[in-house]
Amino acid sequence: MPIANPPPSARSAEPGRTGGAAPSGQGVRRSGSGRDQRRAVGRPRADRLAPYVLVAPAVLVIVVLRLWPLLLGANFSFTGDGQRNGTTVGLDNYLELFRDPLFRGALRNVGLLVLILPVAVAIPGLLATFIHLRVPGHRLYRSVYFFPAVLSPVIVGAIFNLLLAFDGPLNAVLGAVGIGPVDWLGDPDVAMFTVVGVHVWATFGMALVVFLAGFATLDATLVEAARVDGASLPQIIWHVIAPSLIRTIQFVFVTTMIGMLTSMFGLLYVMTSGGPEGSTYLPEYYIWVQQGQLNRPALASAASTVLFLIMLVVGLLQISLLRRAGREA
Amino acid sequence: MSRFSRWSLALPMALLALATIYPLLFTANVASKSRREYILDRFSLADTARWANIDTAWNSVGMGRYFANSLIVVTASVVLLLLIGSMAGFALSQLRFRGSSAIFLGCLAALFIPFQVIMVPLARIMADSGLIDTYPGLVLAYVAQFLPFTVFLMTSYYKTVPAEIIDAARIDGSSAYGVYRRIMLPLGTPALLSVGILDALFCWNDVLISLLMMPSADHRTLMVGVTSLRGQYSDDIPTFAAGVLIAAVPVLVVYLFLQRQITDGVAAGSTKG
Amino acid sequence: MSAVLVAGLALAGCGSAAGPRSTPGGSDGRLVVWDWKSGEPSAASYIEQAKADFAKKHPDVTVDFVNQPFDQYYTLLGAAIQSGKGPDVILFNGGGQIRDRVDALMPLDDYLAEDRQRLAGWDAFTRDGRTYASPVTLQGHPIYYNKTLYEKAGLDPANPAMTWDEFVDDCAAITKATGARCFALGNKEGYGIQFFLSGLASGILTPQEYDAWVGGKRDWTSPNVKRIFELWKEAGDKGLNNDGANSTAMFNDSFALFQSGKAAHVIGLMSDVGHWRDFSEFLTADKLGVMDAPVVSSGAIPSLPYDGGIGYAVAKWTKDPKVAADLVRSLTSTDALSAFYAGAGAIASDTTIDVSGGGPAVATIVSKIKTGKPAPHVALSSKTLDLMGRLSQQLLSGSVTVDEAVKQLAASDQAG
Repeated sequence: MPIANPPPSARSAEPGRTGGAAPSGQGVRRSGSGRDQRRAVGRPRADRLAPYVLVAPAVLVIVVLRLWPLLLGANFSFTGDGQRNGTTVGLDNYLELFRDPLFRGALRNVGLLVLILPVAVAIPGLLATFIHLRVPGHRLYRSVYFFPAVLSPVIVGAIFNLLLAFDGPLNAVLGAVGIGPVDWLGDPDVAMFTVVGVHVWATFGMALVVFLAGFATLDATLVEAARVDGASLPQIIWHVIAPSLIRTIQFVFVTTMIGMLTSMFGLLYVMTSGGPEGSTYLPEYYIWVQQGQLNRPALASAASTVLFLIMLVVGLLQISLLRRAGREA
Repeated sequence: MSRFSRWSLALPMALLALATIYPLLFTANVASKSRREYILDRFSLADTARWANIDTAWNSVGMGRYFANSLIVVTASVVLLLLIGSMAGFALSQLRFRGSSAIFLGCLAALFIPFQVIMVPLARIMADSGLIDTYPGLVLAYVAQFLPFTVFLMTSYYKTVPAEIIDAARIDGSSAYGVYRRIMLPLGTPALLSVGILDALFCWNDVLISLLMMPSADHRTLMVGVTSLRGQYSDDIPTFAAGVLIAAVPVLVVYLFLQRQITDGVAAGSTKG
Repeated sequence: MSAVLVAGLALAGCGSAAGPRSTPGGSDGRLVVWDWKSGEPSAASYIEQAKADFAKKHPDVTVDFVNQPFDQYYTLLGAAIQSGKGPDVILFNGGGQIRDRVDALMPLDDYLAEDRQRLAGWDAFTRDGRTYASPVTLQGHPIYYNKTLYEKAGLDPANPAMTWDEFVDDCAAITKATGARCFALGNKEGYGIQFFLSGLASGILTPQEYDAWVGGKRDWTSPNVKRIFELWKEAGDKGLNNDGANSTAMFNDSFALFQSGKAAHVIGLMSDVGHWRDFSEFLTADKLGVMDAPVVSSGAIPSLPYDGGIGYAVAKWTKDPKVAADLVRSLTSTDALSAFYAGAGAIASDTTIDVSGGGPAVATIVSKIKTGKPAPHVALSSKTLDLMGRLSQQLLSGSVTVDEAVKQLAASDQAG
């Protein structure tokens, strides 16, 4: 995982650097690159080619099987469906998309997800912190928190459908303490939060794995030093751990966002089918409906292209924001 | 942390642990119920431990074959992903060369491509090149799908390796390939293990890519087999739950084994470095 | 290893390498069938029969059934159609799902002439006068009721209500005596309104209005059409439905409510699930009734709403359409369909099958097939049905008026 700190023993080989709070990657990279350029002159040809050889397979795969199909797919979004199959229709599909209240609703839900994102990152982050700080039972937690991540979303959805049914056990418990029943999946103001909650619950184990790998290389003496100085737990987390793990956090942010925007289909399909009243539509589900159910593949392509652009912008924004935060910390 | 705050954290965390075990137990319980028992009461304990559903799930759609298919495809995909991903990660993080930032940006952009947008063109490319319905085709599709993730991660990880370590090796006369093999691979163990777990989980649980790339019935992967236990109207939940269990248990075992290695691997990797 | 990969990619990039064994569809001596049924144990004997029948005609052709998960069925089919490579024989739901995709299918009229009389339900697989699939099952929406609950409320289970007002009174009596609600309703996916519309329309619309509706001339300004949606809202407001209908799944939560006696009626199905055979585990044949739609407006004549349910079509890219059509004919042979009826309890498209052993409910259903008419919701486009699902949820939650809902539906319907 993107671990902010070099392994402890490696760090000690580097005299003159103190504190783990500095974004160490930057400095290393700069010194590394200077060195490479200096040496490049006298290096044998084979060695100069080495970087290209090393990246070649990755570049080939990504260009041929990701970027090239992306271009083809984006191109397809400018053609028509049904009667106009194969003909160029310019921006018609995009205009139709943005006129469709359902798609606009899906985009609003994307906005909501972006707002919820920090919570979805903070939960596994905090849990990993506590496990790292060895709360009683940490070994057990480290193992079982990953359990939901191995279950298929369909079964997770089916279980929560039962638990959250109007006459289900959760409402029975709420009723017992005098809180009226909540229609978790039937109330348009509540359903989206319910589904996102279940998604976070079902996937936090994966982010936890990433965080734990990050913690594995965190310099324990830093936390110890802060503790000796009398720092409280929130202070330690905020001033010591978070800045040291900025790369891990950045990575979890990006992958959690991708997970929320592209892999909630299973849950949506089972738990709400986009309803009630269309309130839980996400672009991904919209694409599935248009492509499979309504047979509008070109319109679906346009929707996927929009989804790609949104993810690109939001993702890059997050990366640069976090990078800046890392520098300032 | 004070003794008090440790224990005050432990309680909610234990509750959460219960909540995360529950669905697995629920699934196991449903898997040993009859359909009638399930409809009458979904939550009650199964009256006996029944293996009939596991048996049905395993035999009805040829799960053994699918299991082997999944094992082959996932293993090959993860090995390739880790190899290609770590090579690229090393080059992009430690070696300065013309075009490196463009390549990194390209990987980043590829990370944000939803599968739906490339689904049809990709199927067509695979069909035209004769790779559809072959193991290499599916492996390649998985590698393509999860490579941006793997490269992004390995690059960030390798950026944290101090230049001094590499410099020292260079002075000893190692080529870039030697540095990759003797230093970067062992040093990357924790990252390789974690990303390997996640890549394996993604490939193992994938349904859509597998369905698209492997149209023949006998080339199916395990999760596709499990998913097809649900018909149009998801009627026989106990058999489906049994299938889910068959698919989930191997992943759990592998995870439980490897998650220790992640933390242990750090120490090993760093001492070698 | 990566050298192999690179070589493979280079080929992929040029698109030059031809894969002789890669294309699943249309190669000689082999037919590929896509469906979402062949994996179900209850369909096993049906598939066996059909295969045996086909083997007699074409012993040298192998048939591969590929059971796809239904969730992704039409998505995968769309991808296959777009790349022009896919199965030879394809299972479809009748109505919009097949009509939207006829460009990729072969008209079968010439091959199926002999089956015309024997099978029913062709309309659901017909577009612009051409038939694209042969029906396997009939799908419709009988109103099932629980006779035990009728008895407990002191009602005569042999004579259920004929008019809506009587029906509502009966329901009140049942709820008072047993606590069971009138309707088990699952509207999470927006299917509840479709069943409601089809199940009750023949008691609301006049026969002329009904025929015009299914014939494509829908008058959304008619008071009777509006009445359908008013009734939907009233049923919700008066508490005739189970609680949380908008979060209850039609499949199979609403049917579970009916089976377990928590509701007295359900507008169910004839085939697949939610039908007489499906209920029989909990409601024995003599406790399950089927009733006509209660009459709401004068002049309405109740009839059973049904269409072709699922049927097999032939892709236009198949090598030998005659062989593929023969497979379709084997899949709809009387022997195969009898096996499907016996195994899954589906009401098969073949009306010559003897159902006398199935109990009164299935006998009632089959007796009404002759006078039955196409279901009103099947006549609507997928897009309008999608909108209707959402509007129906809003009607139940009170966030839209009936007038506004009907106006939006009319606009969507008339847009095509």
